[in-house]
Amino acid sequence: MSARGILWGSTALVLLACLVLVLLIVATKVTRTLRDRRTSALVAPHRADLLAVGSGEDEDGTHRDALIAVEGPAREALDDALVDLLAKVRGVPAEELAAVLLAHGAVDRAPHDLKHRSTVRRARAAHLLGLCHVGAALPLVVDALRDPAAEVRVAATRALGLLREPSAAPPLLAAVGADRAVPAGPAGDALEQLGVGIADALRDGLLATSPTTRTVAAYLSGEGTFTRSIDLLRLSLRTDEDPVVRATAAVALGRMGRTADVAVLLEGTQTHQPIELRRACAAALGDLGDPSAVDGLRALLADPDPRIAEIAATSLLRLGPIGRAAVDGAPTNASIESARAVARLQGSLS
Amino acid sequence: MSWDGLVDGLRSTVAWLMHITSTPILIYFTVINLSYLALIVLAFVDFRAQHRRREAIVETFGGALTPGVSLVVPAYNEEAGIVTAVQALLSLRYPRHEVVAVDDGSTDATFERLRDAFDLVPIPREIPQDVPTRARVIDVHVPRDGRTRLIVVRKENSGRSEAINVGVNAATEPLVTMVDADSILEPDALLRVTQPFVDDPNRMVAAGGAIRPVNGSRVVSGRIVKVQMPTSWLARIQVVEYLRAFLLGRTGWARFGALILISGAFGIFRRDVIVEVGGLDPDSIGEDFELVLRIHRRLRDEDRDYRVAFVPEPVLWTEVPSTTSVLRSQRRRWHRGLWETLWAYRGMLFRRRYGRVGFVALPYFWIFELFAPLLEMFGIIIVPLALALGVVNVPYGILFLVLAYGLAVLVTLSAMAAEEWAFHRHERWRDLGLSLAASVLENFGYRQLTVWWRLEGWWASLRRKKQVWGVMTRTGFDEAGG
Amino acid sequence: MTAAEGIRVLVADDDPDIRDLVEFKLTQAGYAVEAVGDGLSAWEAFQTEPPALVILDVMMPGLSGIDVLRKIRESGAATVPVLMLSAKSRDSDVDTGFAVGADDYVIKPFSPRELLHRVNGILARVR
Repeated sequence: MSARGILWGSTALVLLACLVLVLLIVATKVTRTLRDRRTSALVAPHRADLLAVGSGEDEDGTHRDALIAVEGPAREALDDALVDLLAKVRGVPAEELAAVLLAHGAVDRAPHDLKHRSTVRRARAAHLLGLCHVGAALPLVVDALRDPAAEVRVAATRALGLLREPSAAPPLLAAVGADRAVPAGPAGDALEQLGVGIADALRDGLLATSPTTRTVAAYLSGEGTFTRSIDLLRLSLRTDEDPVVRATAAVALGRMGRTADVAVLLEGTQTHQPIELRRACAAALGDLGDPSAVDGLRALLADPDPRIAEIAATSLLRLGPIGRAAVDGAPTNASIESARAVARLQGSLS
Repeated sequence: MSWDGLVDGLRSTVAWLMHITSTPILIYFTVINLSYLALIVLAFVDFRAQHRRREAIVETFGGALTPGVSLVVPAYNEEAGIVTAVQALLSLRYPRHEVVAVDDGSTDATFERLRDAFDLVPIPREIPQDVPTRARVIDVHVPRDGRTRLIVVRKENSGRSEAINVGVNAATEPLVTMVDADSILEPDALLRVTQPFVDDPNRMVAAGGAIRPVNGSRVVSGRIVKVQMPTSWLARIQVVEYLRAFLLGRTGWARFGALILISGAFGIFRRDVIVEVGGLDPDSIGEDFELVLRIHRRLRDEDRDYRVAFVPEPVLWTEVPSTTSVLRSQRRRWHRGLWETLWAYRGMLFRRRYGRVGFVALPYFWIFELFAPLLEMFGIIIVPLALALGVVNVPYGILFLVLAYGLAVLVTLSAMAAEEWAFHRHERWRDLGLSLAASVLENFGYRQLTVWWRLEGWWASLRRKKQVWGVMTRTGFDEAGG
Repeated sequence: MTAAEGIRVLVADDDPDIRDLVEFKLTQAGYAVEAVGDGLSAWEAFQTEPPALVILDVMMPGLSGIDVLRKIRESGAATVPVLMLSAKSRDSDVDTGFAVGADDYVIKPFSPRELLHRVNGILARVR
């Protein structure tokens, strides 16, 4: 093939591809509009029944029964609408919507759909199992935490939060640090819903190999006041190699620590520690609110880092008369004055 | 020498040039555009995976592990819009954030407007020097109500980079982002752009957000209420440009694991990492770009496991130049910054330690971003010349141009297709049509102009440098309108 | 049950399901409901004729619920009661809302019956 021929050929190819793309853009927009319209059209006749059930205006159950009776292609579209609605309401309406899904067999199909080829179907199946509180499906949803598709993993995470089974805590914590990871935040949200039964899982999480797992475990220990984690949190603050874990442990100890934890937090404020950790620990001592921290905080008032000095002053002012006396007694500087000024503005100091 | 002889000589020179360069140039154009397509495909895969998750994200307001954010707003003579801007930033939907406005020695009423609007009172706070700064901090103010999370720092005038560094020093939250006073953030922007940090709190060090031109859209109370295409063709073409570059170029690179250019105006960073690498370099015109490279280099030098992410959904809207003169100085500045930063970090090229950044991203930027205008200019000159001298015939010439620019249009159309699929922001058919038209029109003049301006900027930078014992020194730039 | 007598209620939520549900529930109870899908429309409707009660979703594109609430509180009809709808959150959304002047909060997923009770309660208090 001659150079001229190649040039003609590639040009024709490029122009053709351009044409295809313009058509693709237009087609995308059109398809989306059409698909949405079609789904709405299928659901539209039943919208009134949906709203009646969803808003709890279905005393005698006639609307619910009408929805159950729907057959054919409309049923599938309706099931999707039901799932959407179910996520937005609670109480009796939620139970009734779930009942329709159950009667349609959607709930029975869901465990099977967790193995479906399509990512969307798997994710929706996990979502459904969570919304309908199908406790029996727990092992399957836990398995879905390792699904190849990120979207399904996230859906499984959320579903586990809705299922509220504490036994899901260890796999959730492990999944956060896995290769096919589950995002830490949503996992934390889910874990928060599992109740107090996760205390042991959190302890194990604090010793996990993945720093993300340790972070989530430390965070939740503080948020849920899991005092059983305290000794391990102290260890994390002192020795963890990951600065985020250490900082999270400091915050957690600040929230639920007691007198015995002042020492480890003060240790965190020492000059050889990383600057961000020093500041976090100084602030945590203010949260903790134990007067035995006064001496250690007072020593920081003259620290060359003005931020930690101001944090220490603020924390002392939060410790009541003893703290205030320590601040008043120390030689004044810009940081102390600044802490006083802010406290005055916030109304916590007259 | 006779005129004919001159023309003959020129003809044979051009013929020879065409002979040796036409194929390499065509290959260059093909590779650059195919690589863009590859990045677009990578981005598209990412879109599909993230699509449904995106809708759910803003529902998890204040979810677990949501980090606090400090918004640093450097301001120089912004009296007209600073109060609206700060108000809009303060009222962003986010559980924990503060605004740190840094008045870079404004000569107008920037500070006074803030003081009056927010009832500011001075506090004697000493700002830490986590990032060493040269300029003196004058004072610090906070609102009298003790509740509004605003800090206003006044400093001596020394430029945007130093203003940002002072802002970083004054910031109290673990994440920091820099926002210019004339930019608009979406109300849920912080929720979206912090999502990578919520998902991976230990490794994520920086995230970027896509920018779109705000020209033509309807803004009420500092919020975008309707996205519309601008009225001027110059701005319309830039809308398409930004779409292509930010939305897809960045996402693709992030997916590939080698995101080095976060953006010109919106990036969010872990504060401790900014401090660790020394903040923005006030002597570099590369700003954010330079900072990101410095972060890559430092963290890879230390063999740390880290991530940089990109959030493709537009989070920030900014006014783009609507006149050619402002556009010109912008493009000159950008290319100068690109050149100087790439040169400064040339030590990272092809070193195994720097992984994909050193082996793929940086070389790519050298070849296809830095040198692109040079090769394009060569093509712009040589092809018409060859046509005029009869070295090549008209069909060939046209074919050449169509292939070179046709591919560019193809790339832009792919960007639009993906955007339409993922975000469908342009509601009206008319706007979609305008975008399509702009993507074609771009190649008839606009593109060539930007090529020339980029070369201007590069040349200006080269001329002003003096090589002194291997150390680059500068003789001074005129920053404003430079 | 309070006699709703066609009292005007403005509902703003960009989620059509929530919008329709709230409209349905309140209409069944006798209220005259105007439902819009974004903040700007809500503000414009409010300015045209202030209703007896406004229900705003916090999260809406363009002008958010908090933005609209702020505008209402700074307007001539500042005392109109406002109820906010918000996704489950830690605290800050609720704090901000009350600080700006919301009268009540309903967290999603919500109980439609509870929403109705709160609406009735607010309007009874106002009268």
